[in-house]
Amino acid sequence: MTDTTAATQTKGQLSSAASSEVIIEINQMNKWYGDFHVLRDINLTLHKGERIVICGPSGSGKSTLIRCINALEEHQEGDILVDGILLGENLKNLDHIRTEVGMVFQNFNLFPHLTILENLTLGPIWVRKMSKADAIENAMDYLKRVKIPEQANKYPGQLSGGQQQRVAIARSLCMSPKIMLFDEPTSALDPEMIKEVLDVMIELADTGMSMIVVTHEMAFAKTIADRVIFMDEGDIVEENEPNAFFENPQHARTQLFLSQIL
Amino acid sequence: MAIITLTKTPTRPAPLSETSMLGWMRKSLFSSWFNGALTIFTLYIIYITLQGVYIWGFADATFVADNRRACYDISLTGACWAGVIDWMDNIFYGRYPREDIWRIDLGGLLLILWMAPMWMRKVKGKIWIGVTVVTFYPFLAGYLFAGGDKGLFMQLMIAAALVALPANVINMLLGLFKDQSLGQVLQGFVAKFSRDEKVQRNLLLAVVALSLVIAFVLQSQWQEVAVSWTKWGGLFLTLAIAGIGIACSLPGGILLALGRRSKLPIIRILSTGFIEIFRSVPLITVLFMATTMFPLFMPEGFVLNKLTQVIIAVCLFNACYMAETVRAGLQAIPKGQYEGAHTIGLGYWGTMGFVIMPQALKYMIPNIVGNFIGLLKDTTLVSIIGLFDLLGMLRSISKDVPWLGLHKEPLIFGAIVFFIFCFSMSKYSRHLEAKLETSNKN
Repeated sequence: MTDTTAATQTKGQLSSAASSEVIIEINQMNKWYGDFHVLRDINLTLHKGERIVICGPSGSGKSTLIRCINALEEHQEGDILVDGILLGENLKNLDHIRTEVGMVFQNFNLFPHLTILENLTLGPIWVRKMSKADAIENAMDYLKRVKIPEQANKYPGQLSGGQQQRVAIARSLCMSPKIMLFDEPTSALDPEMIKEVLDVMIELADTGMSMIVVTHEMAFAKTIADRVIFMDEGDIVEENEPNAFFENPQHARTQLFLSQIL
Repeated sequence: MAIITLTKTPTRPAPLSETSMLGWMRKSLFSSWFNGALTIFTLYIIYITLQGVYIWGFADATFVADNRRACYDISLTGACWAGVIDWMDNIFYGRYPREDIWRIDLGGLLLILWMAPMWMRKVKGKIWIGVTVVTFYPFLAGYLFAGGDKGLFMQLMIAAALVALPANVINMLLGLFKDQSLGQVLQGFVAKFSRDEKVQRNLLLAVVALSLVIAFVLQSQWQEVAVSWTKWGGLFLTLAIAGIGIACSLPGGILLALGRRSKLPIIRILSTGFIEIFRSVPLITVLFMATTMFPLFMPEGFVLNKLTQVIIAVCLFNACYMAETVRAGLQAIPKGQYEGAHTIGLGYWGTMGFVIMPQALKYMIPNIVGNFIGLLKDTTLVSIIGLFDLLGMLRSISKDVPWLGLHKEPLIFGAIVFFIFCFSMSKYSRHLEAKLETSNKN
């Protein structure tokens, strides 16, 4: 990873690999659900290799924000540029962006009728046009990285929640995305399984992947984040580097939130 | 005070009442005085019913007689199966020329041969078996049954069927005895000639093209005497209409269901209108419309025979019902599945074909097979518009002079035939459900 220009910060075990190259740019983005104004004047940039953690109370629009980035939700005003491509009406762009942006959901969204291996090779074979043998090799590599190669021929229903979420991460990685989005990846897991998923994510961050993570795991946020964003009622209320964010929150709303969850 | 269990409590076998037959009987049949009495009473009712059926249907029944009078002379209290047996050929084949009945039998055998590998676990490439049987078999069988002159399109489809059928048989044998598929063997074969993928592909295409040419030449020698559709009848006609109806209604229903859920307003409105119109009209009305009104709207000189019109009507009608079943299945799929598919870059058809449809159809197997069963039984309505299907044939027995007034036995026989077909379909659907179950294997 190139980290020549950006200041390299050291926080916890991880060092940031962020470069000056912008990979996501959001300008004055607004979104409504009917009459309800969910996202208000959102401005956000993600540099290549940078890790952003978004937190905030439920209903604050954090999930909606990252779902807008890979166009699972439509926004009504403002621009979203992903890897230099403008998100909009053009469906070709949309398909392209979705192959560049991986996403991991709270409920895994694995395909229950396919084996783990088939879940992982579906995209590479049909979208990336890989040969079947290459796709399987690729998939097994990623299954080893998330430490469950022995489950390759089982069905998602036979795996624990933590294992399913690791498969979901591997499924996204198989498409070799440039950006990974995580939408509360540990919220649906039993407590004893949260760590195995977070460990995989920390390892992924270590490789220099650009990541946006919506999570309530504050210890995890301190470990990997380059920046922490706090959202409330559709606004980005506070944005800061993690030490300052957790030690010395500025906004009253942030202080209240942190006092409630820490 | 702390409680700490240091030794693991050992596993013990379940009590006898859970595992033995006697325990089960005590629990489910004789759990109380009243339940015990009910059980005995029910057993008695079952006994006298079965006994009555046995005496009428077997013990006192007549199997060989020249006419109904003779039946009564032999036994007054039993069934007169002689009439049904005398008409057996008509019941199965209608008025199809007796010297050509082998064509129907051969057609049935070919279908069994073609479909059999679907049930063999070791055979690979089941999707291809399904696709080829639905695309090519109807043409091969259609010509076998109808005969006469072949158009160019018909000739091409028959040639394709003549390639696909042997390929399917070879594939089955390879799967059974060598654990390979035909595709793998062919790939190994072309790999011997060249390592270049493009050359390999061309070589494969050449092999296919060559076999098609050979098949085309072979089939051009093949000529069968024409048998008018008016001679088709009996179980054969029932199965032909139902078979084509089943083969068309599922793909048609899938397309209509997708159309109804489409984001494009024109497609959505057309599909919805089509489905609702056909669903709000009884099948018998559709059949009458198809045979009497439809020709009025067609250009001069455009004539379809009645059987074709009936088959088209049955297909459209059932596609609409199937569409609603498939739509119900689609609605049961959580939104997350679409999102999961989108995030790995699958487009509309990829999402539907690989992720959504397989799950939706799996959920809907009981309802889909239910529709098929309904379709098979509904085909009896064609006897009202003058086709002699199974029911039409059974009812004409009572109008045949030697068997005048013989109603009960033919209809009971028909009920048994329908039961065999419908029950096997429903059994097979249970088997499919169990086989495809993957979600609850926790």
